[in-house]
Amino acid sequence: METPDGLRSFDCGEDEHIWDAAASHQITLPATCHQGRCLTCAGRLLAGSVDHDHADAYFAQDEEEDYILLCRAMPRSDLHIRTHQEWEMREHRIASGLPAPYA
Amino acid sequence: MATEKIVQPGDVTQRVGVEVIRARGVDVDKLIKMLVANAAAEFASTYYYYTILRMNLAGHEDYKEICEDARLEDRAHWELIVPRIYELGGHLPNDLKEFHDQAGCRAAKLPDPPTAVNILTLLLESERCAIRSWSAVCDITFGKDPRTYDLAARILNEEIEHEAWFIELLAQERDGKSIPSGHFRRGEPGEAPYSKNRGFYNP
Repeated sequence: METPDGLRSFDCGEDEHIWDAAASHQITLPATCHQGRCLTCAGRLLAGSVDHDHADAYFAQDEEEDYILLCRAMPRSDLHIRTHQEWEMREHRIASGLPAPYA
Repeated sequence: MATEKIVQPGDVTQRVGVEVIRARGVDVDKLIKMLVANAAAEFASTYYYYTILRMNLAGHEDYKEICEDARLEDRAHWELIVPRIYELGGHLPNDLKEFHDQAGCRAAKLPDPPTAVNILTLLLESERCAIRSWSAVCDITFGKDPRTYDLAARILNEEIEHEAWFIELLAQERDGKSIPSGHFRRGEPGEAPYSKNRGFYNP
């Protein structure tokens, strides 16, 4: 995981939300709704694959651009993620004509 | 503290009430976006949908009454915060769908099946999102923007009470456990003691 504080690695179960796993390893990431809606927790998937667990708003266009919502995303492989992408994802949503809360 | 932008006498294009908080470090544009997102959550994600949820709690009159308090208090939160958006120089979207899409919390749509447990679970998680959202506003205004902080803290007080209510009701309904919330104390429905500045229950 690429964070503003440097690279961090940790284990995350396949039924565990990545944000929760990070928190349990003392990695504090941004989040507000924890519902997969507000985009505060957005990350960019640089390698690997995830599933989203009942994210309120996650679109095919998000997946095409490798944006993920860490509060609802669960790993399906080893992952390489860049965190703190909320404003980048909101710009992507606006450019795609999709809902962008807080934008 | 940054230097405050000087507002000339008679200038109605600038607001001292905005410049003083900007000088103290508040990102006013970001704050306005947060308030619009939270107002949308109060009005479009909860108040509207809680109306439907309450209608579907037939046979659970106690739950209906508590849901009504939360519903009307969420509307009170919307009413409380909207003027602040305009004071800060912001505005609401002139389109209801656009406003709905700005909401920072999931719409509390009627679950399928609409059992009491499912509805109480939805209500609980909606309140939790509200707590997180208003806490974020408190975080960025604390010590810098006392007016927004005061409004957000009043709303947060009630959202925390709502969470406690729905924990108590869900624990009893789903798990048969007693997890007291403290007191359910409201006079008339939606009394909103904090956001309507009424007396607190303190006999």
